[in-house]
Amino acid sequence: MIRDEISVSIQTLRWKCIESRAYSKRLHYGRFALSPLHKGRADTIGIAMRRALLGEVEGTCITRVKLENIKHEYSAIIGIEESVHDILMNLKEIVFRSDSYGIREASIYIVGPRNVTAQDIILPPSVKIIDTTQHIARLTKSITSDIRLQIEKNRGYIIHSPNNYQDGIFPIDAVFMPVRDANYSIHSYGSGNEIREVLFLEIWTNGGLTPREALYEASRNLIDLFIPFLHGEEQNIDGMNNKKGSNMLPFPLSHVLTDTGETKEKIAFQLIFIDQLELPPKTYNSLRRANIHTLLDLLNYSREDLMRIEHFGKESVEQVLEVLQKLFAIDPPRN
Amino acid sequence: MRLDENEGAFTIPEFGKIQFEGFCRFIDQGLMEELHNFPKIEDIDKEIEFRLFGNEYELAEPFIKERDAVYQSLTYYSELYVPARSIRRNSRKIQKQTVFLGNIPLMNSHGTFVVNGIYRVVVNQILISPGIYYRSELDHNRINYIYTGTLISDWGRRSKLEIDVGERIWARVSRKQKISIPVLLSAMGLNLEEILDNTRYPERFLFLLKKKGRWEREEYLWSREKAILEFYKKLYCISGDLVFSESLCKELQKKFFRKRCELGKIGRRNLNQKLNLDIPENEIFSLPQDVLAAVDYLIGVKFGMGTLDDIDHLRNRRIRSVADLLQNQFRLALGRLEDAVKRTIRRATKRRSTPQNLVTSTLLKNTFQDFFGSHPLSQFLDQTNPLTEIAHGRKLSHLGPGGLTGRTASFRTRDIHPSYYGRICPIDTSEGMNAGLVASLSIHAKIGDCGSLQSPFYKISERSREEHMVYLLPGEDEDEYYRIATGNSLALNQGIQEEQITPARYRQEFIVIAWEQIHFRSIFPFQYFSVGVSLIPFLEHNDANRALMGSNMQRQAVPLFRPEKCIAGTGLEGQAALDSGSVAIATQEGRIEYIDAVNITSSVNGDTVRTESVIYQRSNTNTCTHQKPQIHQGECVKKGQILADGATTVGGELSLGKNVLVAYMPWEGYNFEDAILISERLVYEDIYTSFHIVRYRIEICMTSQGPERITREIPHLDAHLLRHLDENGLVMLGSWIETGDVLVGKLTPQTIEESLCTPEGRLLQTIFGIEVSTARENCLRAPIGGRGRVIDVRWINRVDDSGDNAETVHVYISQKRKIQVGDKVSGRHGNKGIISIVLPRQDMPYLQNGIPVDMVLNPLGVPSRMNVGQIFECLPGLAGNPMNKHYRITPFDEKYEREASRKLVFPELYKASEQTANPWVFEPDHPGKHRLIDGRTGDVFEQPVTIGKAYMSKLSHQVDEKIHARSSGPYARVTQQPLRGKSKRGGQRIGEMEVWALEGFGVAYILQEMLTLKSDHIRTRNEVLGAIITGGPIPKPDTAPESFRLLIRELRSLALELNHAIISEKNFQIDREEV
Repeated sequence: MIRDEISVSIQTLRWKCIESRAYSKRLHYGRFALSPLHKGRADTIGIAMRRALLGEVEGTCITRVKLENIKHEYSAIIGIEESVHDILMNLKEIVFRSDSYGIREASIYIVGPRNVTAQDIILPPSVKIIDTTQHIARLTKSITSDIRLQIEKNRGYIIHSPNNYQDGIFPIDAVFMPVRDANYSIHSYGSGNEIREVLFLEIWTNGGLTPREALYEASRNLIDLFIPFLHGEEQNIDGMNNKKGSNMLPFPLSHVLTDTGETKEKIAFQLIFIDQLELPPKTYNSLRRANIHTLLDLLNYSREDLMRIEHFGKESVEQVLEVLQKLFAIDPPRN
Repeated sequence: MRLDENEGAFTIPEFGKIQFEGFCRFIDQGLMEELHNFPKIEDIDKEIEFRLFGNEYELAEPFIKERDAVYQSLTYYSELYVPARSIRRNSRKIQKQTVFLGNIPLMNSHGTFVVNGIYRVVVNQILISPGIYYRSELDHNRINYIYTGTLISDWGRRSKLEIDVGERIWARVSRKQKISIPVLLSAMGLNLEEILDNTRYPERFLFLLKKKGRWEREEYLWSREKAILEFYKKLYCISGDLVFSESLCKELQKKFFRKRCELGKIGRRNLNQKLNLDIPENEIFSLPQDVLAAVDYLIGVKFGMGTLDDIDHLRNRRIRSVADLLQNQFRLALGRLEDAVKRTIRRATKRRSTPQNLVTSTLLKNTFQDFFGSHPLSQFLDQTNPLTEIAHGRKLSHLGPGGLTGRTASFRTRDIHPSYYGRICPIDTSEGMNAGLVASLSIHAKIGDCGSLQSPFYKISERSREEHMVYLLPGEDEDEYYRIATGNSLALNQGIQEEQITPARYRQEFIVIAWEQIHFRSIFPFQYFSVGVSLIPFLEHNDANRALMGSNMQRQAVPLFRPEKCIAGTGLEGQAALDSGSVAIATQEGRIEYIDAVNITSSVNGDTVRTESVIYQRSNTNTCTHQKPQIHQGECVKKGQILADGATTVGGELSLGKNVLVAYMPWEGYNFEDAILISERLVYEDIYTSFHIVRYRIEICMTSQGPERITREIPHLDAHLLRHLDENGLVMLGSWIETGDVLVGKLTPQTIEESLCTPEGRLLQTIFGIEVSTARENCLRAPIGGRGRVIDVRWINRVDDSGDNAETVHVYISQKRKIQVGDKVSGRHGNKGIISIVLPRQDMPYLQNGIPVDMVLNPLGVPSRMNVGQIFECLPGLAGNPMNKHYRITPFDEKYEREASRKLVFPELYKASEQTANPWVFEPDHPGKHRLIDGRTGDVFEQPVTIGKAYMSKLSHQVDEKIHARSSGPYARVTQQPLRGKSKRGGQRIGEMEVWALEGFGVAYILQEMLTLKSDHIRTRNEVLGAIITGGPIPKPDTAPESFRLLIRELRSLALELNHAIISEKNFQIDREEV
């Protein structure tokens, strides 16, 4: 019956969102169709997309919590119904939506007695909470609670080993997986040699991404994984150094750069955040303060412009240039 | 038969009641009885008289709370005060005073004691009740039947009467020695006339006399002295002459008659009943008349009169509960007190003394302390989860003093007896050595008077058609005489009158009879089972062996971080949780005034009640107990409402595991031989995450060189290891500890000579002339696998009796353990396995709606183990999950209808598929099975696969605790082979199979190295170390390894010399060599 609803053009591949629904704030559902496909292709795309959706999509989560005057998470705070550990686990549940990479800071400052929910989190710009009703703690006395949070965007999940433990900072084993579930099904039509297939993709997300965005991101990440094949085989003649350097690339962008045109390059640069450059914190923070977020922003600055940034010494400039040279083989424009 | 007119609705008795009632019996009756028996004590000159007034005893309210006792490592006890009076005859002075007799540890409401800060439980013992038991058995040639009567004393000692083939009657006094009955009787004080007068078979006795001729005849003319002498000789195998003396008589009296023949009240009653005697009940020792009557009975048995006894029958067993054990200890303590008072009274004649000065309170305290500390039935309470606690208190042990031992118990005693029905669980017992010896009480059973086990049944009265509950004792005149239906009238074929038949129990047999002929019916399908077993749904589909494992493994389930109710359960979860005491319950109705993680305050009409909740406390077995409030501020609660859930309860129901989606299919061999593969989801969503709180302790002792010191300044130790210490040398609260970190810095003083013994000390001394420290570091360090967060540090100061100050530091470290490869998980049906791999969720097989499976079990684990219950459990789980339903299923529904369980399960699946609009949930072609898709390839698996939500728990056997490695370490003293076990830092055993593996590879040298050079050859194993470090060749020993030398020595002790000699070819000279 679904097949009837979709008009399939035989020539070009097209995708379409058939159904999109938000069951709740934290359960979004989307169903997409891709057609027409030759026999067998739907399976190729389907399983790859399912795996990419489940494994490659990034999400945002709280990774560290700072609580004042708390010795360990197995203690209780007078005037709060939950133990510290329960509060941490409630914080783990909060789903964020964020575009920026890197560690962001948020905080909760509440005077009791009242219920603390995700609504009460004071967020940095460009971070949004999906379900503001998420319960955090219940204050039963007139006490103040001051919680500082670190929000991070990443993929998969991390299990902290709290080796470098500092007083009052509790790491949370964050799960950055916005896609709750993904499924695909294939319907074929036509006959003989003309068998064509429709691929249906079903995506359930936790709201941190809409299914549509998840689909977009998953396919982009999937494409990134295939890009090396577009380039010729790597020549390992330069010796160890070069090899080491190329292995350190976050993703092999240099190939994209050489192959694509200027606009595409710009788009690519726009997608690289300075967080990925692994700069020292001081340098990174200075750049952030100067509103430099992506590589494109950075490339708009010349060496002299960089020198003019507050708290940005010669040393920092050198570092930036070195990193750019090393990772992307580009020099900043000189003017 | 006892009739309890307990009409109307009834509930399952509280699970902890068995223990608690026992203790109450001790406090109410036992104490009084023993104090009543305390004699009046007088000194030799009859000047001072001392007596206790036992019926006015008082127990003081304990001055610390139970929880504080645990916290401070103290005993939770109550002080016993008894009024006493001393009279001085010469001065006519009467002093009356309430004396302090000592401390009695108190039981808490869950049936456990707190002794030295440790929860302990006194396990009920089940033993043969004293009395006499007749059996026929084969003689040692295994040809003829002989008849024996075994007299069992109150302490479990046996003496045997037997008629042999020659029709002579003996009393067996030890394994080898037997004496003839007339000798025994005359040793006990009867003469021939009395014997002949009192026996029913005088002609038998005379016949015996005639048959054996003159010599035997003389025996009867012996005096009592001669008989005793003869008896004594036989008993101790003394040959030669002995002279009769009064002391010998006394010794015999003490060693034989007192020990072997003490019957106790129960024994006296049993004996009177069996032998039809009429001896008053307070005669607790066996009399000559008893022996005579016993012999008469034995002769009767030989002639086919009288009945033989089934010694394994529950009628012939009794329960020795806490009450009896404590009463015995109390009697012992009072006996000691009596001696002590006698001693002091002798000295007190001169001085004036109050009653309190005459008694001492340490005797009672020490007796109970010894009992709780070392008696085999006072056990360390297993607190892995609340169910374990309950089950531990309801255990019945055949072991212990007066009972059996694991090695000697026969198969018959371990077996299930028909009389266990409804009293002792036929399933729940331990595995291995103690199988059948440690049983478990059925849920409805209760202990009656004299330690008998009773089970309730409904009496069906014909006239009124009403049913009322009756407790029946085991035994012929009790429940075996009646026909007891196993089912109820609903299970009958309602339509046809003639076919209203039911299976019933009658005289230890199962018969099928008409419903009209039934006297009793059972009250509850789970009546026959213990608590653990009755938590298994679809129990009737499981093999008993697997049900046993299931119930045992539920007791090992670790409390999980976020517990979850089971979807398919039996309905007993609620009571199990409530009775365990892990749930905080409102003691009265009221409004919640204030609530936080530690306190709940409720008030009604101005009275406030404060309930303290437990947060992250350590249990005896290092698991975590924790309570979470379930109510909110301002709510009103009723009495009995749940205020806070425990670590393993949800909404007041016991929840030991998690409902996870399982699939029964092989997956790349990763679930071969019961291995289990799991999805990463179980790791990152903290589904099987548990907390473990470990306690490390160090004592601060007084040494000959002075006291030990706790300090931060530890010389020669890496500062990194000391980073967590505060200025006092104790670890700081909240610090994260890794293996090897110092928890408590301790310095033990030592003499200069001692400190110079260390090489570095001497080096420092010689090079720099530095004064070496006079102390040796003796720090408490975190062991391997001991990483975690320090959540508590306690410094415990205890002054013991001798006035010594024992100081101990306890450090509590909490670990959060996620599930990982090597952990053991199990379901409730004995389906256990080890995690073999953790797969990303996209690699797991997934359902048709895209949901990946959580756990993949091997289907081959089902048919041979015959635990089909797990499959039945899966399916309602699958149906209940989307519909948000929880099923509570009574077992044995198949008696109402054929295939009843299947009829229960499939419609639910069908409903679920209708409601959720997922047609694949119920596919008529293969109901309960589903087409799964491989997450890696997207291919549909060839066969439909059984999937469902199973309730799986993580067990306390976790890799983190097991993992262990050693490069060198301790060796066994005799064989010089590495020790076994992690706790002893043992090594890995190169066993037979490992040797075969190496042989199979043909690596002869490696094999030899492993077996000798690196293992039990004392010299080379040290050299090998050096050789490996320097890279030199492995030394070749010229002597034999230690275990071979041991063999030689053992042979020598058998007078066999093993040696080798080299005979020279030229001059045939023998060159001996010592091995």
